[in-house]
Amino acid sequence: MVKEHKTQATTKTVALLGNPNCGKSSLFNQLTGLSQKVGNFPGVTVDKKFGMLRLASQEEVTIVDFPGTYSFYPTAMDERIVVQSMLDTDSENHPDAILYVADITKLEKHLLLFSQLKDLDLPLALVLNMSDIAEKEGLQLDQQQLASQLGVPVILVSSRTGEGIEKMDALIENLLKLKQNPHSDYNLPDQLQPLIQEIQNIFPGLNDYRALLIAHHHEWLPYLSDAQKAQIGSAIQENQFNSLRSQVDETMARFDSFSPLVKRTLVRQTAESNDLSSKLDRILTHRIFGPVIFFLLMLLVFQAIYAWAAYPMDAIDWLFGTLGDGVQQTLPEGWLSSLIVDGLLAGLGGIVVFVPQIAILFFLISILEEVGYMARAAFMFDRLMQAFGLNGRSIVALISGGACAIPAVMSTRTISNWKERLITILVTPFISCSARIPVYTVLIGFAVPATTVWGIFNLQGLAFMALYLFGIAAALLAAWIFKLILKTREHSFLMLEMPEYRLPVMRNIWINVWEKVKTFLMEAGKVILAISLVLWILASFAPAGAMVAAEQEAVTLAETQGLDEQATENLVAAKKIETSYAGRLGKSIEPVIRPLGFDWKIGIALITSFAAREVFVGTMATIYSIGSDSDENSVRAKMAMEINPETGEKVYNRATSWSLLLFYVFAMMCMSTLAVVKRETKSWKWPVIQFVFMTGLAYLTSFIAYQWLS
Amino acid sequence: MNTLSTTTTFNGVISSTPPQNIISHFTDDQVAGKLMSMGVLPGSRIEVIRKAPLGGGWYVRVDRQLMALRKEELDCIVTQKW
Repeated sequence: MVKEHKTQATTKTVALLGNPNCGKSSLFNQLTGLSQKVGNFPGVTVDKKFGMLRLASQEEVTIVDFPGTYSFYPTAMDERIVVQSMLDTDSENHPDAILYVADITKLEKHLLLFSQLKDLDLPLALVLNMSDIAEKEGLQLDQQQLASQLGVPVILVSSRTGEGIEKMDALIENLLKLKQNPHSDYNLPDQLQPLIQEIQNIFPGLNDYRALLIAHHHEWLPYLSDAQKAQIGSAIQENQFNSLRSQVDETMARFDSFSPLVKRTLVRQTAESNDLSSKLDRILTHRIFGPVIFFLLMLLVFQAIYAWAAYPMDAIDWLFGTLGDGVQQTLPEGWLSSLIVDGLLAGLGGIVVFVPQIAILFFLISILEEVGYMARAAFMFDRLMQAFGLNGRSIVALISGGACAIPAVMSTRTISNWKERLITILVTPFISCSARIPVYTVLIGFAVPATTVWGIFNLQGLAFMALYLFGIAAALLAAWIFKLILKTREHSFLMLEMPEYRLPVMRNIWINVWEKVKTFLMEAGKVILAISLVLWILASFAPAGAMVAAEQEAVTLAETQGLDEQATENLVAAKKIETSYAGRLGKSIEPVIRPLGFDWKIGIALITSFAAREVFVGTMATIYSIGSDSDENSVRAKMAMEINPETGEKVYNRATSWSLLLFYVFAMMCMSTLAVVKRETKSWKWPVIQFVFMTGLAYLTSFIAYQWLS
Repeated sequence: MNTLSTTTTFNGVISSTPPQNIISHFTDDQVAGKLMSMGVLPGSRIEVIRKAPLGGGWYVRVDRQLMALRKEELDCIVTQKW
């Protein structure tokens, strides 16, 4: 990161700014393509997209795609970043020039932020994005008059087709030579002058509008010192400055200043726009059809990540398995071979195997987002989600979580309210993911008999459904509790623009999918690989001599019992994992998990499940010495015979099985999810909290279930 | 003058002839600030189109813009019939 900042300091920064849905990101993709990178804005969890652009003069500039924002009066974290970066002249994100992107069909609305930016004394150009809708509406623009009246360069581009993009190069070059542009036609009211004077005394040389913005936002601007904040605070008190009132007055005055110009320079041939969108929404947001269509779409998404992703996932498993076999055959047996196969390759395989699910989910979600459907989904489910402190958009994450929590957590990026986004991230892993299914399948037979109830229902099927419902209930309950606990200054708004439906731009979708996959591999992959290696060490090593002793013991035992080669090998593996650090850890946590009805063997499985929950089955197979590649049925058969040596009762009785099932429903036992949560919340604090409350709840419910049933 | 109330005036009825409701002012400055920055201004024409399937939200058209507002947000908008 440090290196990156240094290179940025020498190149000039050009900011892309504009309202949400103005086509800014499409334009950014046109300009930078796959060379774009994703970093962070300092101190916050807002993505910073930037890319280098080489101009005709060979000069390289950094283009930063700032979050879409409506005005200099932010209501969410990502909008604050814009204000902060524009005001703090020492910030590495402070631009040398601004390209302001506006949708020509919404020119008037989009000129508000433009008019505010004009008063910052930064070189500024207006990039008018022509959409296909603009042509349909027969918009006629007097570009020359607009440019001369605004006093800034104006160009027309189409971010969809790339038309006019070639003019950007020269535009940027000219802008960077400019020092500033004329101010807007908005005049600060006289009664604000004393306050602005006082703020200018604190910050000499600051222009009037910047001073006013500091008065508005001093409380949260991170670059101001406490002493400065106190000074500004008392100046505000003295002058009886009402921030909200002043904001409303300013907005009105600004609209009054540019509305006549828009009316003069932009002529609409047709009266009504968004006719098609209105008609589609009659069905897509209909009281009954709307939710039904949404759930059908989600069913498709779910099917895609649950079933279709299985093919590439199997192929990845096969590839890593084959690679492992190859290594095992070429290298002599020993710790190196085991490190490469069971540690490194298994760890890498465990990361890459998620790529199909992530790619497919983001392919589908990006399409829904690009066509404008997501805003409708957020609108339809806002009330329901709001009750639990979530956002309308959270429902997509919660449903995708049913396939895999990892892409689901990554999909919360579109929720701009930080509290709502955080709660969504924290509770999504409660939704039973596909990795829990093998565990449920193995255990459910011990918990409930396969009898038919009420004529048609299989009791095991009902239990299966109950497990899913427990997960959903836990997610909503936890969300509700977090809603009460977490404090935020951000006011929660719905106030959502419904963009016109439009065809998706495939380039934007591919770039988004690529970016998500890359982020997962690079950021979360590191953590997953590290934990895999730790798990491998735990499962493969023991205090000096113990492994050899265990192997000898197993071989002797096998000889006395007259076991064949395969059975001997399985027995050796079982004895080895028992004596390994993982086995010892399993035994040492036995007192803790005893009240839940678990023995040390289950303890080992709980520890190794941390790599991925489905590892439970393989670990059980190894411990019960039937070979780690055994299928679920043979594992279940073996587990059914397991007798507790002290009580003489079956280990997997109803109480233990229910207890273990509930543990798997609630516990946070997926290092990949934790790694992704760390990446998305930019700190270890939240994954740790998540691990503690989920596993705590799991312990509590398992305890109650076991004590009650046994 | 009447409040754009979700309980009395509209009730989610889709009107074929748009009622000419012109926004006169807002009752909450914080909501007003955000609404105005999105181009919802005094003088804008507002039409309530339908209620969200699960309630709590409204699908509206303000001038040429389609948008979704929460009940509390819509309740801050005061209109005049023209």
